[in-house]
Amino acid sequence: MSSLTLRGVRKSYGNVEVIKGVDLDIDSKQFVVFVGPSGCGKSTLLRMIAGLEHITAGDLEIGGQRMNDVDPSKRGIAMVFQSYALYPHMTVRENMGFALRFAGVAKDQIARQVGDAARILALEPLLDRFPKELSGGQRQRVAIGRAIVRNPQVFLFDEPLSNLDAELRVHMRIEIARLHKELQTTIIYVTHDQVEAMTLADKIVVLRDGIIEQVGRPLDLYDDPANQFVAGFIGSPRMNFLAGSIVEKGVDTVTIELANHGGTRLTLPAGGGAVGDQVALGIRAEHLGLPGTGTADITLDVDVAEHLGSTSYVYANAGGEAVVIEREESRHETGKDRITVSISADKAYLFDSKGQRLR
Amino acid sequence: MAQARLARREHLTGWAFIAPALILLGLFMIYPIVWSLWMSFQVGKGMNLSFGGFANIERLTKDPVFLRALGNTFTFFIIQVPIMITLALLFAVALNDATLRFRGLFRTAIFLPCVASLIAYSTLFKSMFANDGVVNQALMALHVIGGPIAWFSDPFWAKVVVILAITWRWTGYNMVFYLAALQNIDRSIYEAARIDGVPAWARFRYLTIPMLKPVILFTTVISTIGTLQLFDEVYNFTAGTGGPSDSTLTLSLYIYNLTFKFMPSFGYSATVSWVIVVVVGILSLIQFLIARDRRSS
Amino acid sequence: MTDTPMTSAPARPVAATSILPGNPWALIRRGIVYLLLSFAAFVSVFPFFWMLVGTTNTSADIIKGKASFGGAFFDNATTFFTQVDVLRVFWNSGFIAIVGTVLTLAVSSLAGYGFEMFRSRVRERIFALLLLLLSIPFAAMMVPLFVMFAQAKLVNTYVAVILPTVASIFIIFYFRQATKAFPSELRDAAKIDGLKEWQIFLYVYMPVMRPTYAAATIIVFMANWNNYLWPLIVLQTEDNRTITLIVSALTSAYVPDYGMTLFATVLATLPTLIIFFLLQRRFVEGMLGAVK
Repeated sequence: MSSLTLRGVRKSYGNVEVIKGVDLDIDSKQFVVFVGPSGCGKSTLLRMIAGLEHITAGDLEIGGQRMNDVDPSKRGIAMVFQSYALYPHMTVRENMGFALRFAGVAKDQIARQVGDAARILALEPLLDRFPKELSGGQRQRVAIGRAIVRNPQVFLFDEPLSNLDAELRVHMRIEIARLHKELQTTIIYVTHDQVEAMTLADKIVVLRDGIIEQVGRPLDLYDDPANQFVAGFIGSPRMNFLAGSIVEKGVDTVTIELANHGGTRLTLPAGGGAVGDQVALGIRAEHLGLPGTGTADITLDVDVAEHLGSTSYVYANAGGEAVVIEREESRHETGKDRITVSISADKAYLFDSKGQRLR
Repeated sequence: MAQARLARREHLTGWAFIAPALILLGLFMIYPIVWSLWMSFQVGKGMNLSFGGFANIERLTKDPVFLRALGNTFTFFIIQVPIMITLALLFAVALNDATLRFRGLFRTAIFLPCVASLIAYSTLFKSMFANDGVVNQALMALHVIGGPIAWFSDPFWAKVVVILAITWRWTGYNMVFYLAALQNIDRSIYEAARIDGVPAWARFRYLTIPMLKPVILFTTVISTIGTLQLFDEVYNFTAGTGGPSDSTLTLSLYIYNLTFKFMPSFGYSATVSWVIVVVVGILSLIQFLIARDRRSS
Repeated sequence: MTDTPMTSAPARPVAATSILPGNPWALIRRGIVYLLLSFAAFVSVFPFFWMLVGTTNTSADIIKGKASFGGAFFDNATTFFTQVDVLRVFWNSGFIAIVGTVLTLAVSSLAGYGFEMFRSRVRERIFALLLLLLSIPFAAMMVPLFVMFAQAKLVNTYVAVILPTVASIFIIFYFRQATKAFPSELRDAAKIDGLKEWQIFLYVYMPVMRPTYAAATIIVFMANWNNYLWPLIVLQTEDNRTITLIVSALTSAYVPDYGMTLFATVLATLPTLIIFFLLQRRFVEGMLGAVK
């Protein structure tokens, strides 16, 4: 059963369209992450689901009911904000019970529900403090607690970890994953951090310019990106793209010549394209193997090498085209001025000049 | 359109929040302003008004009292505002030095005049500047003057008292704006400039002044409007006459007298009040243009 | 709100080079700064001292410039209390200032919040128009305003004094500026928590903005307490006079009794002085509010 559905959803401010027709099904109990660069519309989409932004066109259904014109408080959602949005003049206890107070819930019932939520998040010792007396991580937990108290069908998280330092961010990420397991509710989570997306999501929705670029499980997106944008956005370090052009077409293969590597040619399994087309060959840093192990070798000028201990990253270029290489062992090799790496055709992706995948 | 229900409700709520204020402003500000604009084309005494076209404007040009009041107002404005702004800026920069001792004390003291009402402080000044009063006594003791100055019966010195009084009352007020602006300037900008070897005067001239420009403009406009509306002090100093021989008569005081002291001449007093509106408008525009010009060059 | 000048900023050990020993020019410069500031502080404070001294001297001594405490305090007080119905006057001033302040804050904060939170093109135009009106002097509307109240037979009433001041463009502007610092996510959270707009204003905005209200209260109260021109026009009978009008009337007498007048001035200034020393920080915040 689908717990939340978007059908042809659009949003415009005056003449500017920021969400350009989104269709999406979110299953019950799924952890869905909206990810994309800033300005891609992911937060706007979340706020439209929450009822904080009006839906210009299209339909939003939650639990099978059309929600376009329903008040935010009656949509069965709860939201955790980037700034946490805790009411500064209320204690943690009052913050968590505020919504119930206005829903006309009896006092002892409020106390019980707040108590339950506080227990789940280990907030009990903080209940009588004010937000300003809490650390960033504690505020974050209170914000989540306030959402839990309302017992929603869908949790909405708007970049909840971006105000925390790196260490705390990892910690809270794990805590949110634990909560999802424990609460068994649908979560929609917005982030610009693809690591958060990869680690938390059951399903990632990659957005760009108000359009969904791809929807899928994290590793599916990683292993099988639909286009150059998703390929470049998911994964760290970023996928390398080598410019080239198609020189030959077989039945199920194309042969390309790389532009910056002295006429190096590769044959890859792919349909589509025509001889003479400009293409980009995508290959991840960890897939640039030792010389002779792949389909073709290329030699690059080394700019910088970073040694992180277990892994080293070599930043190199050929004719100005930057390439990142990941090496797990052989550190000595990375100390040289030039490096030769091997490309395996079965680990490479081919994109046409519009960024679409050639399969 | 059902889609827009939430949007429409939000729109109506927006009007609901500002409605009380808009109704009151409409009734007690916009309506009187429009009415006075209409009045300024009416001639006659009391409520017996008839349309007079530009008769009132013509009368303005031939009214020596009006020209006197206009001249006085300009004198106050041109001399007083620059003195006050300079002093305020000077005090602010001096007090912004974190190593200065008794900063809080100085700041509070210089700001204190703002607490006095216009009537209260003009009463104090009137008593201090009496012929045998404390100011004359002090100046004679310091041998600045030989004999007492007749502050309130000499047209020149009467103006001087007014200028001194306004400066006393408002310098601290302006200083607070500059201090706040100075504290908002990132300290590291000055540290960077010092490391770059920029001398102190140049830091003031090329860093402080440009960064304070918006505040300086703001306070200048506020002070201009304030000076052109000058009323309480001169009324209180001179029991409403603007004397001696109209030397401290301001436009606002003249309007008051035209309306409430002499045989009421509503149309003409409305015309005089619109002179202030026009002057304020022109001066604000000039100040704004100057500020913008300097920025672009 | 952030740090304001009246709260002493943390003293940081910067600019230390300028007071290094063995730098005579820096020492001289510093001396001049202290001299200048001391003079300014003296000039600023002296009239207040003069006011206090004046209440203890006879009128004749005051205009002869006697700047030391004398023995005429009780005479001055007695003269004042017999000539002026003090309770009545303070009731007038207090009622006008307090009721006016409450109404002004209510109406103007609602509008400031409304303008900032519910943006629309029409309302932005209206707001811009209001800012333009801010520079129109009171003189330009006082005549019609007086005629309006005269026709409505409201001259000499509190209503006439209070009503035109209630919707203050300056305070609306002040609240709009302050509302920019009010986190809009708080309003979003409250909406999701099921609050209606007026409830958000009452239960979230007003408590959160308490410092802004405090600062605005001081500014508006002072303005109302000290208001002069409009009460002068619209309050024409003896029993409606405010303390400010009384001080002015005493000062404008043909031969003013300065002992009594300065006593009245102290009474008129005392409330604002007390507020200033109790709430110095809020006081300045209110003053600065509009430019931030």
